[in-house]
Amino acid sequence: MRSILVVIMAVAIGACGGEGQQATQAAASTTGLKVYRHAMDQAPSTLDPVQASNVYANHVVVNAYDTLFSYKYLARPYALKPNLAVEMPEISDDELTYTIRIKQGVRFIDDPAFPDGKGRELIAEDFIYSIKRQFDPSQLPVGTWFWIERIVGLDAWKEAGSDYSIEVEGFRALDDYTIRIQLKRPYPQLLDTLTTGYSAIVPREAVEYYGKEFASHPVGSGPFKVIEYDTAKILFERNEHYRQEPVDIWYEGYDPETQAYTGVEVIHGRSPPFIDRLEIDFIGEDAARWSSFTKGNEVQYTVLPNEQVDQVLASKNPVTFKPEYAEKYHGYDVVEFGFVFNAFNMDHAEFGYREDPVENHRNKLLRCALIKAWDWPARSESFYFGLAKIYPGIIPPAVPEFDPDMSRDSVTRDVVEARRLLKEGGWTAENLPVFIFGGAAGIKNRLFFEQARSWFKEVGYPMEKMKLKQFATFGDLSKAWRNSELMYVSKGWGLDYPDAENTLQLFYGPNKTPGSNDANYLNPEYDALYEKSSVMRSSPERTRIYREMNQMIVDDCVAHTGLSRTRIFMWHKDVIALPDRQIVGGFFLKYVDLKTEDTIVEQIN
Amino acid sequence: MSGQSTAAIRREGLWSKAVYKFSRDRAGLVSLAIVSIYTIVALGAWGGLWATEWADVTGGKWMPVSSEHWFGTNIIGQDIFQRALFSTRTTFEVGFVVALLATAVGALLGAVAGFFSGSWIDEIALWMMGVLDSIPFYLFVAAIAFALQDNPYAMHVAMIATFWTTVARLVRGEVIKLKSLEYVEAAHAIGVPEIVIIFRHILPNTFHILLVQGTITFVAAIKSEVILSFLGLGVKEGMSWGLMISESTMEVMAGFFNNFLAASAFLFVLVMAFNMFSDALQDALDPKKV
Repeated sequence: MRSILVVIMAVAIGACGGEGQQATQAAASTTGLKVYRHAMDQAPSTLDPVQASNVYANHVVVNAYDTLFSYKYLARPYALKPNLAVEMPEISDDELTYTIRIKQGVRFIDDPAFPDGKGRELIAEDFIYSIKRQFDPSQLPVGTWFWIERIVGLDAWKEAGSDYSIEVEGFRALDDYTIRIQLKRPYPQLLDTLTTGYSAIVPREAVEYYGKEFASHPVGSGPFKVIEYDTAKILFERNEHYRQEPVDIWYEGYDPETQAYTGVEVIHGRSPPFIDRLEIDFIGEDAARWSSFTKGNEVQYTVLPNEQVDQVLASKNPVTFKPEYAEKYHGYDVVEFGFVFNAFNMDHAEFGYREDPVENHRNKLLRCALIKAWDWPARSESFYFGLAKIYPGIIPPAVPEFDPDMSRDSVTRDVVEARRLLKEGGWTAENLPVFIFGGAAGIKNRLFFEQARSWFKEVGYPMEKMKLKQFATFGDLSKAWRNSELMYVSKGWGLDYPDAENTLQLFYGPNKTPGSNDANYLNPEYDALYEKSSVMRSSPERTRIYREMNQMIVDDCVAHTGLSRTRIFMWHKDVIALPDRQIVGGFFLKYVDLKTEDTIVEQIN
Repeated sequence: MSGQSTAAIRREGLWSKAVYKFSRDRAGLVSLAIVSIYTIVALGAWGGLWATEWADVTGGKWMPVSSEHWFGTNIIGQDIFQRALFSTRTTFEVGFVVALLATAVGALLGAVAGFFSGSWIDEIALWMMGVLDSIPFYLFVAAIAFALQDNPYAMHVAMIATFWTTVARLVRGEVIKLKSLEYVEAAHAIGVPEIVIIFRHILPNTFHILLVQGTITFVAAIKSEVILSFLGLGVKEGMSWGLMISESTMEVMAGFFNNFLAASAFLFVLVMAFNMFSDALQDALDPKKV
């Protein structure tokens, strides 16, 4: 009888509550815990930092593990700050030696991997071990390219068999709390690389204890610990041993003019994490994710699906919500930190390099013609509802080196010019090569292909000579890119750090496949400029070099590029956060707080 | 007098009786007319008489129904009506190929198994049917699609490999019945080789079963094709109603239903008509029905 009464009361209370507050209040009233439910469109395939190559893996890794540095929560443009490091490093005058001191008393979570199941203190040697894993082929690393040929002795250590008992001259723990990194040449982006999931610090005991299962069993020292993980969701609990470091929102870059609506002022002076549980639901279908988000008592965050743009937005430029959505949800729009592009694989004779200079020139004319046939505004309108920025080259608007004044010829459709270029190259319907597009299985990729085929057909490319090769999974497609199997590579690139070097390296010769240069673009002049700029810190001179390289990519007609999508993040109004996942995935999650009944009353008053 | 009796005898035959009964079945005639229209549409698309611009971007995104675009346009500006028409060709290609080959394989193996019922040949045939029937269909198709990589006929192979078993079971049963009839025993007695008895004297007498089962397989094939294409396991090149419905998953959330409605309507009408046609044919060929 008593339980029936409790149920009736619970239903009555639930009926009185606002829809948007149901989740938190329900969670609080039934469990007394603050639970935040996040959503992502894909599950990470691994939780092992050594393979944390995408935004999905990074959402987990940077919350379960520590990194030496991080980005300030609210500062835009992004700014580095120490995380596990005590302060920013001491850097020698020649910029070749970095000395980093780490915080004392930081502990890994309790886990059976440790003696007696008690997490031990994290020490400098753990960082050395974690980065060395990226140079140990047995660990199947994918982040090696960050540090390859950069650190004294590390490549030789790998060549010698990756024996962890051998000390690397330029990569040492001076004591338990001091790290010394010696570089072969200046590496201005080094600290940025030490914010990423690839550099997250793992305990060797756990790697050895779990073996392959370590990929699904994180043992870190981050703000949260994983208690459940499957293909549908991941559940974290607050790490009760996480260090107490009160947030200074002014230091974090808080701007009251643009960020007051988020309510983040309430976290000032308090130590994160502020929630007891973090749940990330992996919901692949946009419709299902949107439905869960708008239901009110399920996930509290989503990226606005393209299909909902017209329903939700009152205007696109600037982005504003219709009143019924503005009333319920917060939103934050930003041009993505990355871009989408389609590159010709220069290793394939159909469109790429030919030994015969005449044939080589003809191929260039063919590529240029197809670039002139491309209709970026139509692509943007069809698939991104016009919420995208189109620009020439490979330096996206999100980085300071972007050149707004660059000629837009390469992104302006000109069918007449395309036909002229084909004619000049002697290309006819009979001698044009079979054009094979590659894409992961799915209707969107098919439509991408059909749209491009239609454009190319208009300039004279026979329809039957354009084919789509679909791969069962994105992993299979990536493998085909790495193996240089495709003559045309369509991909998106998310920046690892806010520096155009990260996109320019995509066309750097030595990075050719299986590296990140899927286009296999080889231009000694470009490579020389890349090498010259890669040791320079941000400066007008470096920007000039970057832009010169960018122009080379455009002039050589290597790729259809580029487009950066506008991301619109939405979250419930009972969530206190700036959930910007643009850089390093979900590093913001440790700062998320929820409005309790007390804070709601406080705000109303 | 003799002319009348000849006509009476002719009317008594299975096929003439079937034609007579079918011609009296209004639903059957209507369904036949609809199937014929679809066949003409498919042949026209195949011959390049219409739906030639199914792949072209001929309009803007999600244009409404108009005299220029009868069913509007899709997300990239392709004409939905042209795509629906062209998909009819795909449907008939898949339906005919699968129905023809699955029925042929089923007839062949079913006849042999039935004729040698109880022998090791029958045992093997039944074992094969049992094994294939026990594999979940879509899992089987996915496995074959994966094994055959980009082969555009992966879906056909999977369907034929699955659908022949039903035909074979029916034919096997009929052959077991037929082989004990006197005319077969007579053929044995005069030394007609077994292979000739099976294919010249028994199998032709199962044709009414094959015809009905062929139409049922046709319907099953086109429905499966749409589902498989929707799942990304079906049509590799060209267009299909399943792909159109798959496209519509990107559209219905935005309130645009033309792709979904067009493909669904085309499919619904054809499947209904074919089912009715199949029923009418079954009734017409059933000697027990008056």
